[in-house]
Amino acid sequence: MLPPLVRKTWRDDRRTTIGWTAGVGAFTAVYTGFYSQFQGAAELKQDALPQGMLDFLGIADMLSPAGYLQATVFSLIGPLLVLMCATTLAARTIARPEEDGGMELLLANPLSRKGFATQRLTAAATAITLVAVAPWIVLSILVPAIGIDVPLGNVAAACAGLVLLAWCFTGIAFLAGAVTGKRGTVLAVTGVIGVTTYMANALSNISDSVSGLKWVSPFYYFIGGDPLHDGWNPAHLLLLAGIGVTTAAAGVVLFDRRDVGV
Amino acid sequence: MTSDTAVLAEDLTKFYGPRRGIEELTLDVRAGEVMGFLGPNGAGKTTTIRLLLDFLRPTRGHARVLGMDSRRDKAALHRQIGYLPGELAFPGRETAEELLRFFGDARGGVPWTAVTGLAERLDLDLSRPVRAMSKGNKQKVGLVQAFMHRPALLILDEPTSGLDPLMQQEFLAMVREARDHGQTVFMSSHVLAEVQSTADRVAIVRDGRLAAVEKVETLGRRAVRSVEIHFADPVEAADFTGLPGVTQVEVTGPVLRCTVDGRLDPLIKAAARHEVIDLLSAEPDLEETFLSYYYTGEGTSDVAAAGA
Repeated sequence: MLPPLVRKTWRDDRRTTIGWTAGVGAFTAVYTGFYSQFQGAAELKQDALPQGMLDFLGIADMLSPAGYLQATVFSLIGPLLVLMCATTLAARTIARPEEDGGMELLLANPLSRKGFATQRLTAAATAITLVAVAPWIVLSILVPAIGIDVPLGNVAAACAGLVLLAWCFTGIAFLAGAVTGKRGTVLAVTGVIGVTTYMANALSNISDSVSGLKWVSPFYYFIGGDPLHDGWNPAHLLLLAGIGVTTAAAGVVLFDRRDVGV
Repeated sequence: MTSDTAVLAEDLTKFYGPRRGIEELTLDVRAGEVMGFLGPNGAGKTTTIRLLLDFLRPTRGHARVLGMDSRRDKAALHRQIGYLPGELAFPGRETAEELLRFFGDARGGVPWTAVTGLAERLDLDLSRPVRAMSKGNKQKVGLVQAFMHRPALLILDEPTSGLDPLMQQEFLAMVREARDHGQTVFMSSHVLAEVQSTADRVAIVRDGRLAAVEKVETLGRRAVRSVEIHFADPVEAADFTGLPGVTQVEVTGPVLRCTVDGRLDPLIKAAARHEVIDLLSAEPDLEETFLSYYYTGEGTSDVAAAGA
């Protein structure tokens, strides 16, 4: 039997989780489903966009099947949607109830502070994982069905990267909320880190002089190893998971040390 | 610490940065008693309660609750506490029933009849979403979750706020029953009247410090009362000013109005020298006693006696 607080958190997040899962899944399905029709358009788009722009957007080539998936699902909107959901749900673990007053009755549960924070995070992280896995499920069905010529193993590698990217930012967002208890701070911190590291990775693609920037970007570890062409990159994935787990653990420890609801 | 002390706070101090929450608060609540915790808004009642519950960490001093350390033993301790927050907000969009089932499960299972019994007493409809409820009904949900698992210690922050008079009576009956079951009740209020009928002792905080701890009867006996005496003939104010305990003497023709702190005897003896037609004495009002603590600072000297 799962802890009551985990089930309660899932119940409270249910509508959000279902909505985001459906949205992310539909987004993936629509883009992937138009693969055959987009081939001509993709060619035009690729010709129209300067190479620098293509590099910035992380689009190696839109003509190859792997390039098409990367440009549509994995370059910008896919990760953006998943990270928005991750930030929203992570902000609900501690920061939102602390701001709207619901925290007192939640924290009055017979759990230690660490136990409370861990259960809240566990529930949110599983919901976020469900959302982040949606493209994986959709692509596992559609890629063979439509006949997109990308090995399913490579699709899995890219999709796993998306899940771990979500974990990475869930950890960061959770840490911000656990330390400050303020939803605005969670959104600001996660948003700023997300945008700057995305830019860092994007800029490192177009200019060799700043190519070192990519090493500080979770987005590089997510997609920079080109999993759709080259398959699994365990070191990159482990690093993403490591950032997520470390920030989450730091959040649990720091939440245990502060005043709540002041 | 012995098992007959439910709450023991020693030198409990909390500063929020430079702002004082409470300072050097030393207090014990005996097991099985109902203690009222009184003070004007902003005096530090909620801060004290949140320190006892380990939501806040003290700047100095420490608290032991039910013989346990608030922080280290939080999990075990909170299972035995029923807490009603002063500013009640409920997490989620559930119905009262779903929410109360969650609270029950989280505390290791509560017989559902205990919940429905309380809901019936308070005339609460459990099938409605808590978010859509009125303030009074939310307060009832808060009371049900605090009482439902028969906790050894009830910590209630402004428990009657939002309740209509009938429900306030029902609540006070619940508090008395809790005491009969051997439960300890620590309830804060800024209105004396609501603890007057149930509390065994009251602790009064003022400006973050403990001003007094007294038995309710003691508070009543030493209460300030207003007295009005009608005489057959006009009297002189001078006959009554300077009597022990008599203040605010006001004479209009044959009518004397004054306030008496303590025994009425000196005033009665002085009045007996004239022909008395009528005598009105307002029942000792704890509210006024309380205000006299707050405004005049009187009662500070009682802390030593009360702490003994």
